[in-house]
Amino acid sequence: MSTIHPASALLRRSRHPAILLLIIATCLSTAAAVRFASPGFAPSVMDDQGRLAEEWGLLQVTLSESGPGAEPSVTSILLDGVIPAAQARSQHGPLAMTLTAFRSPIWPAGVDVLTAEIEETGEAPARTSLALRLPDNVRVGARTVALGARTVVALPAGTHASQATREWGWSDDAVSMPNWARPSADCDPAFQNIRAGMGGVPILYGFKVEPKSSLTVVLGFCESHWAQSGQRPMLCRVEGAPPQEIDPIARWGQHRPGALLFNARDANGDGKLDVAVLPQLGAPDQNPILNAIWLFPPTASLNLDQVIAGRLNGVAIRRVDVGGKEDQCLFAGGTVEYSVELPARGKAAFTFLVACQGASAPHPDQSVWTLEKLRAAAREVWQGWRQP
Amino acid sequence: MKPESILPMRTSHHCHSCISRRQCLQILSSAGVGLAMSGNLVRGLAQSSKPAPDFVDPDKLRPKPKIRLDAAILQQPRPYWLGWPGTAYDLDARQQEYRSSLRESCQRLGIDVREEAKPVEDEAGLAALLNGVKGRKPDGLLVILQHMQCWPWANRLSKEAGVPLIVFSPIGTSFTGHVNNISRQPGVHVVSTLHWPAVENGLRMIRARRLFEESRILWIRGDQRNETVLERLGTKVRAVPRKTFNELFDKMPVNEEVRDLAADFRRGARRVVEPNEEDGLNCVRAYTAAKRLLADEQANALSMDCLGMVGARLVPTPPCGAWTMLQDQGITAGCEADLHGATSMMLTSYLLDRPGYMNDPVAETARNLLIVSHCTSGTRLNGFAQKPSPYILRSHSESALGVAVQVLWPVGEKATLVRFRNPNELILDTGTVVSNVDTPPAGGCRTSVELKMDDIEDCRDVLGFHQVVTLGDHRRIIEGFCQLYGINVVHSPRYESHPKLAA
Repeated sequence: MSTIHPASALLRRSRHPAILLLIIATCLSTAAAVRFASPGFAPSVMDDQGRLAEEWGLLQVTLSESGPGAEPSVTSILLDGVIPAAQARSQHGPLAMTLTAFRSPIWPAGVDVLTAEIEETGEAPARTSLALRLPDNVRVGARTVALGARTVVALPAGTHASQATREWGWSDDAVSMPNWARPSADCDPAFQNIRAGMGGVPILYGFKVEPKSSLTVVLGFCESHWAQSGQRPMLCRVEGAPPQEIDPIARWGQHRPGALLFNARDANGDGKLDVAVLPQLGAPDQNPILNAIWLFPPTASLNLDQVIAGRLNGVAIRRVDVGGKEDQCLFAGGTVEYSVELPARGKAAFTFLVACQGASAPHPDQSVWTLEKLRAAAREVWQGWRQP
Repeated sequence: MKPESILPMRTSHHCHSCISRRQCLQILSSAGVGLAMSGNLVRGLAQSSKPAPDFVDPDKLRPKPKIRLDAAILQQPRPYWLGWPGTAYDLDARQQEYRSSLRESCQRLGIDVREEAKPVEDEAGLAALLNGVKGRKPDGLLVILQHMQCWPWANRLSKEAGVPLIVFSPIGTSFTGHVNNISRQPGVHVVSTLHWPAVENGLRMIRARRLFEESRILWIRGDQRNETVLERLGTKVRAVPRKTFNELFDKMPVNEEVRDLAADFRRGARRVVEPNEEDGLNCVRAYTAAKRLLADEQANALSMDCLGMVGARLVPTPPCGAWTMLQDQGITAGCEADLHGATSMMLTSYLLDRPGYMNDPVAETARNLLIVSHCTSGTRLNGFAQKPSPYILRSHSESALGVAVQVLWPVGEKATLVRFRNPNELILDTGTVVSNVDTPPAGGCRTSVELKMDDIEDCRDVLGFHQVVTLGDHRRIIEGFCQLYGINVVHSPRYESHPKLAA
């Protein structure tokens, strides 16, 4: 790498003073957090620990050999002489790790490209594990990490996902809407809040249970948008119980809290009880809603009016105020790990596409973006960019 | 001046009949195309004139990318004995013919072709070809098959070359079984024919992709300025604040170019209904403002929040007439800041060399027709180098302002509808022009064309909004382009797709 400061290199070739000053200001702020962006968009930040700080959470890449002395040195650089980027270098015993992040300006709002390169700098083959540490509430899939309906990280192939799960929580792409409902009768306060599957996505919950065990599940609903029946019919599936269709207005009326009872069972024996509320096929309103969930022992004798009123909360194994303050995601953050074996002086690289502000990461199975194309896009845009 | 030929053309100029005298001279001197024109007088004038300093040559707004094609003939060692194409097949004559056609096509399309001097006829030759292509990374590879036993090589190239592959199999070099799979493979375009223009269409696909890749489209809306790149097409999208256009429009003078073009536009019309002379001048000022903005931003196409500007009364005229003029010159000018509508227009421009216009689709339920309606149709429906169709100068119907064009589409001819849903998926349908709808008695937009759709039982089921309609049946070449570049093609459903609703 050139010993000339990248800002001065840019100074020699740029014809656009305004953007230049911005970049120089960024470049001079070495040894601290480094910002990088693409033309016209809000920047992302690599902090002084080499972590990528996005508006949705913090990402950290580590090696299993990380320990004292592995503090990264973070600097701003220019890739291809024109693309603002952040780089963190750290040494982990014989392994050197370089994290490089830049913004590729893919339509509509760009994506952050984070590359982790590991190099064996000793003289012996090495084995390590590269880990991408993720924030809470994300879901790790085979090739993506999602936060609600948003893909926040696209993963390289070869992932070994390791993610902790909580005792219970939602695992869907629905949205929480506190105080959406206006129940007109005395009832459990959970009936004021909902999760809604906007765009027709199902509402999904999971509960850890004894494998193959049976439970009584009660789902609570309160429809406060529609006044006429037939608008939001839904289908409720609780594992081990026959599915039930429900049109809350037809059954109970507007603003009237109501409940459905299911004799549930962990039918597949995986130690998790699945609950789902889906839009009914052809329903005019395809956004399912759910206000409350109770889990009771299977032998409990239940009066649904008492459940609705919240008077049986004390005997419930679990009460979920769906969309309320205490509601939670099933997933408790996690780590995505990659095993790496390097020959002496060998290198390996992993590229993660990370959602920046206002954007999702492209799904690897549906996208033709490659690292080469992403970098070329950034290079071309920066080379042609100017402020009027 | 012939009334039907006043709009400026991008190619094949005949200066005495196509554009205003002054602009023609400016184009001649700036683009250096004078020698292609006929007549000593014109040539002499061109040499002595200089363009006005503020003149933007529209020809320079269309991208001119370098396009690199590798080409090779695949044959078996001679002499041939049995097996297709047969002993009687004149290899030398055919290969000479195809090489000659290839050179002509490439010259016509502006493609730099690198031909393998000798046919590939063994594994070593194929390996050398593959290595060369991998090293050079051309924009496309064309192979011309001269024996049925060459298909394993074509299959190997399709998997290993790493560039779009066109396989030309002259009749006599393949059975259906040879082409069945490979011809449906993404990244490959197989042409099994004796019809050379079909091979040239494959080259057009490669050219179109490079045109997309080299293009920057201005997305004139809102108040943001930024730039992004479209997946798969590679087109740069520069968002520009909406006020940029109306502020520039306000500065555009009524100069000789404006006066000449406005007069020519009016003179070429079959009728002028609403617009007065000032409307005509404002229309051309919108055209010169658009050219200036494109040139300043080093851009090649635009799509603008025109309705918003008119609604906010930021401009005295909607840009409809100006957009028609740009369309006829191969420069995409899209409406309502509909980005994917604009990229769909770029597709007809870059792949088919003809304008398209994005439309509001209307169901004519009495006769089961689709009406495609908007105010910005180009007039050169048969191609940028062809004569324009008759048109009537109208106002923009929604605002009753400015100049818009009712282009009279030829009844009985085929038409194609395309619409990028996103850069990865395209809606494609075809139909036949049934009639032109007048306003009044109809409301809606000025160019309104009734289509009888192919393969769609009910016109209400036509997919999309702001589909781009262009003259002619281009289903095969568009499907070929999409397959070559991995774009998913969807067609409107043949049968009714909606469940019966309860009363």
